Amino acid sequence: MSESDETLLERMLDGDEAAFTALYRRRQGTIYRFVLHMTRSVSLAEDVTQEVFMILMESGRRFDPSRGTLLSFLYGIARNRMLRRIENDWRMEPVDAIDECAGAEDLLDHLTRQETIEQVRRAVVSLPPMYREAVVLCDLEHASYEEAAAALECPVGTVRSRLNRGRAMLAQKLTRNVLRTAYE
Amino acid sequence: MSDESVQDLLRALAEADASAEAPLEIEVRLRNQFRSRKRQQVWRLAAMWAASAAAVIALFVVFAGRKPAVAPANPVVMSPPAVKVPQVAAPPISQTAIAPSRRPIAVRPRQRQEIVTDFFPLMDPAPPFERGQLLRVELPASAMQMVGLPVHEERLADRVQADVLLGEEGLPRAIRFVKYESK
Repeated sequence: MSESDETLLERMLDGDEAAFTALYRRRQGTIYRFVLHMTRSVSLAEDVTQEVFMILMESGRRFDPSRGTLLSFLYGIARNRMLRRIENDWRMEPVDAIDECAGAEDLLDHLTRQETIEQVRRAVVSLPPMYREAVVLCDLEHASYEEAAAALECPVGTVRSRLNRGRAMLAQKLTRNVLRTAYE
Repeated sequence: MSDESVQDLLRALAEADASAEAPLEIEVRLRNQFRSRKRQQVWRLAAMWAASAAAVIALFVVFAGRKPAVAPANPVVMSPPAVKVPQVAAPPISQTAIAPSRRPIAVRPRQRQEIVTDFFPLMDPAPPFERGQLLRVELPASAMQMVGLPVHEERLADRVQADVLLGEEGLPRAIRFVKYESK
């Protein structure tokens, strides 16, 4: 049975390099993809992943299990580092009105799978940050509501409502994009 | 587009990117960093203990200097006085009179202004300091020379007050000297 993140952290803080490596290998992908989906920047995702684990080495003792899992702690660090790095671009975009557009599913068939995924990726990044965070964490990284709430420092209910709102906005954006592509 | 369709698309994106990971160089860099931090910690700990030991020895030397001169090799044995001394109840001795000089001084002279020097480190390099205790002690003025303060030859044996900053582990970290001036 594999050791928990928390046990690995404890061993790592006692100077066990194998524990650090195991923890890094287990969690680096999640953190990397979180930043990548949030920003679409490979270099930023690499930098932030490295910074997160550097901070864990230096300040791992600040982790408090009563406030959430180690993964949510790592998400929180990644989020803060990301905010710092892209502070100037991190503006709230106006929330568009959501309107219904039936039959858009059929139009998706016109796009190849790769194109569709690229459209979705672009649509996610174009979401206002607060909704994007919820969608990326819960829908793309499969974080639990509790983990997302701990990482985003907000109540679980807020995560749920941001997620619903984010999905709705995404539906609208994708519909619009698909329609545009179909008529081009 | 329904909520379900959006979730399907998000699932497809998650699957497509599931293998996206940080490059191996980052792991190598971090592991090197981990090793180097570990080495630094060991050295820092060793240096801290060495510095602490040196500081303790230095303080011991200062305190040892205060002790009376060593008794002569052949001490003169004195017989008890022939005169009978009446037994009188001894007056209660105040704690101030018997307490060792290395104690916190609760009462400070009134109407006198306390002037203190800067703190002089007793450890080099100084380990991180979070919490500690300030202890007021009395030392011979020669202790001031230890930290490079000028003291007149004739006043080397004079008593001076000093504040010793003790770290959480009880080791002296720094010292400052106190002088009183009448207002």
